[in-house]
Amino acid sequence: MDYTEIKFSPEELNRYNRQIIYQDWGVEGQQKVRQATVFIAGAGGLGAPVSIYLAVAGVGRLRICDNGTVERSNLNRQILYTDEDLHQLKVVSAQKNLKKLNPHLEIDCFSETISRDTIDRLAGNADIIVDCLDNFETRYILNEYAVRKKLPLVHAGIEGLTGQLTFIHPPHTPCLRCIIPEAPTSKIFPVIGVTPGIIGCLEGNEVLKYLIGIGSNLKGFLLIWNGNDTDFYRIEVAKDPNCLVCGQRANAV
Amino acid sequence: MKVKLFAAFRDGRFKEKEWGYFDGITVGSILEALNINKKEAGVLLVNSRHAETNYRLGKGDTLSLFPVIGGG
Repeated sequence: MDYTEIKFSPEELNRYNRQIIYQDWGVEGQQKVRQATVFIAGAGGLGAPVSIYLAVAGVGRLRICDNGTVERSNLNRQILYTDEDLHQLKVVSAQKNLKKLNPHLEIDCFSETISRDTIDRLAGNADIIVDCLDNFETRYILNEYAVRKKLPLVHAGIEGLTGQLTFIHPPHTPCLRCIIPEAPTSKIFPVIGVTPGIIGCLEGNEVLKYLIGIGSNLKGFLLIWNGNDTDFYRIEVAKDPNCLVCGQRANAV
Repeated sequence: MKVKLFAAFRDGRFKEKEWGYFDGITVGSILEALNINKKEAGVLLVNSRHAETNYRLGKGDTLSLFPVIGGG
């Protein structure tokens, strides 16, 4: 990503010191994350660790969208919220709590439903999109947007003690439809809190690496976390030439 | 031969099971025997490597089946 030079205050240099002294990060990396805008779709189990770690890392602007309120049954995993936030709009509580973690952060909150009509406005000028959703219908909308805009999209899903993750960057990688062509049935799913914690942290890691330009992203691979046996599986995934979103037939749809 | 199921695939089934091997048995035939729709089968691994439904299994293989995971 391009960036212009920013002068950080001594307080900020101290705040970010442990990552700035990481050789591949430096002040230059800090400037890149500060100038980045990240669209986080969903502020639940995955959205909590993603937004927390991007906030404390010093990402300049988060655009967070979730149309839900904080329920007691969220609190086993949605670590951005406490009992004080019960029945509040998630994005309002998220904004308040994230600002406590890092007051330098700019947050745009949207208590709205992501649809094909709203996605352009909600994602705005984001440099990267993070899928923290709980249903595939909306994930497919994010995916179509990412393909249309050629924007990177970090996809994840979780259930129980299992999670999955991939880094989609159209047109270079398979899109979400190539990997998962049909949506599974939406339902209330069991989840152990550590699972979105682990997978959400991995999503945050993918975002930060992309913004700074260090390491490599999980392009063309689906990572599966089997928390039951403490195993990761990395599975190669390929573009589907007949994909309805990014393949040869895409324009016909 | 062993079959391991994960997440919702365990509901009403099992976590891990020794499976009766026969010559020509495929991943797809096990999905059918388990009454798992191919569309619901997100990831199919044989000995930790991705396999297609027409993959012919060997006696000592371990098949791991993960559903498409949609929660967040």
